[in-house]
Amino acid sequence: MTLDQFLSIVPQSIVNGLMLGGTLSLVALGFSIVWGILNIINLAHGAFVMLSAYFAYFMFTGFGIDPFLSIAPAMLIFFVFGYVIQRYIINNVIRAPLLVTFLLTFGLEIIFVNVALNRFGGDYRSITTAYSGIGFFIGDVRVPYIKLAALLISLLIAGALHLFLSRTRTGNAIRAVGMDIDAAKLCGVKIGQTYAITYGIGAALAAAAGVLIGMSFTITPDMGGAFNLRSFVIVVLGGLGSVPGAVLGGLIFGMVDVFAGVLVPGLKDAIAFAMLVLVLIVRPQGILGKAFYK
Amino acid sequence: MSATEQPAQVPAAKPSTVLARPIASRRNLIVRGIVALALVLLLVFPFLDFVSGALIRTVTVVVMAAALAQAWNLIGGYTGYPAFGNVAFFGAGGYATAILMAKMKVDFLPAVLAGGIVAALYATLLGFPVLRLKGHYFSIATLGIAEATREVVANWDTLTGGGSGITLPISPLRPQQFNQFMYFAMLAVFVGSVVLTYFITRSKLGYGMVAIREDEDAAKSLGINTTQFKVAAFALSALITGLVGGVYAYWNSSLIPEDAFNLDYTLRAILITIIGGPGSLFGPALGAIAFEFLRNFLWDRFPGLQFTFLGVMMVLTIIFMPKGVMEFLTGRRRFTPRDLLQYVRDHRVS
Repeated sequence: MTLDQFLSIVPQSIVNGLMLGGTLSLVALGFSIVWGILNIINLAHGAFVMLSAYFAYFMFTGFGIDPFLSIAPAMLIFFVFGYVIQRYIINNVIRAPLLVTFLLTFGLEIIFVNVALNRFGGDYRSITTAYSGIGFFIGDVRVPYIKLAALLISLLIAGALHLFLSRTRTGNAIRAVGMDIDAAKLCGVKIGQTYAITYGIGAALAAAAGVLIGMSFTITPDMGGAFNLRSFVIVVLGGLGSVPGAVLGGLIFGMVDVFAGVLVPGLKDAIAFAMLVLVLIVRPQGILGKAFYK
Repeated sequence: MSATEQPAQVPAAKPSTVLARPIASRRNLIVRGIVALALVLLLVFPFLDFVSGALIRTVTVVVMAAALAQAWNLIGGYTGYPAFGNVAFFGAGGYATAILMAKMKVDFLPAVLAGGIVAALYATLLGFPVLRLKGHYFSIATLGIAEATREVVANWDTLTGGGSGITLPISPLRPQQFNQFMYFAMLAVFVGSVVLTYFITRSKLGYGMVAIREDEDAAKSLGINTTQFKVAAFALSALITGLVGGVYAYWNSSLIPEDAFNLDYTLRAILITIIGGPGSLFGPALGAIAFEFLRNFLWDRFPGLQFTFLGVMMVLTIIFMPKGVMEFLTGRRRFTPRDLLQYVRDHRVS
């Protein structure tokens, strides 16, 4: 690729990167809150994204419900789902060494993915609405409506989460548990329940992202796994325990991902990994530092 | 490991339940008897008349799983670093063997040994930055290494054959001889890994590894060069994994990146070690037998759902017996509902 060719695609790549990054930051946000508060690397997170994409798909093909209208019900359903999983499964071993919870969520992921494979088959599916593939132009740069909406919705949900954590009683309880579990307990916070709510929120955020991802990407049972590693890198990039950090990390990651796809196709994961190691060595507290949901 | 100038009396402060366990001499005798019997059985059974090639191959799969688990046990079980990228060394060893045999016409044995060494060197190189990380960061970083290695191998067309893979020379042996040959090659790696682990657990390195697992800062303050010890454990784990990868490559007679770097191998090694008992000498072997038996059993009865059962098995093992069956066999835990729930009682929040 010559320099001129490269320069000609820079504006479009920046826009693509921003729009991809918005959705990725929504995925990472759920991953981040579970990791930050519960100290669990939730490897089932990608599976929630996948299941929610299927939910939107079946709502659309079965009942003709617009995917954007599926976001709220999906979030509600996955909140309950996540709550139950945390309350009745993960809470049982949450104080065990890291490997235990790590493997537990890995096991859950394997179950979800393979049940999905068994029920839905391995076919490639996609949600094609009347407005799929339509967009507008700013100069030479094409902006698809769906992806722009996905970016805006992601930012909106991130903002709502930030307000929820800082302004509501439950949000404060969640942050308190993340900061000092014993002090929170002394103040009367119910730990098990707060953990379950936090995990439920993580699952709900994954569900919202899953609907948005289902609208612009192919839906398969194994689509979720890639989001775990990416979420991890984004959270490390932005700094653990920070909503703005996750959003910023997501946008940066989206940008790098798009440019890496243009310049060195096929090495996306290697680039993501290199980025991870670089950040861990140079700035282990992340770009925005350790704010910890303050 | 000339890590320290002090005499080798490393972690007397925190005696490991695994290493410094006094064993009753009668139980010791029984264990030796069982091991000897198993070894004789493993050595003679492929030559019995009624044993089919399929059975030999099945047992080879079990032995391979046990060797991979034994390798993971060194870094994950004894040293306590939950590595999730061991398949990178499986693939590295496999590809090194494949390239040597296919492109440079090297014989099987030197090619496999070179594969193991390549994997160990790769682990040493990666170990210095990656083993500085702890906990989640270490796990995900190793997971990332495996993915990144797969991508590089899949894109390096001139050396590795890229996505379409690489084909190894076909063995001149007759099928049954080939089955026996591959079986013994795999068995040699496995027995080697057990012997290696045995000597490590009785060496300064082994005590240092356990000390790092129990309390890394304390180990450091006792004068253990933790970085060197961790890298040594990681490299030895990679050495065994790479040797298994090399033998597998020749056995399979071709390698593609999707198979050679399939996360499934890492996952199985971890699960088998957990089922057997992490940080124990014979745990991985027992775990491999139990796991592969269950897997074959489920495969026959519930085709299509076997991976779901794998997940269920993982969840149940993790919740009820995260220290594996070894605890029950050595009599430190009894197989009662009360004992099974003990771990949950100790670690739950409500």
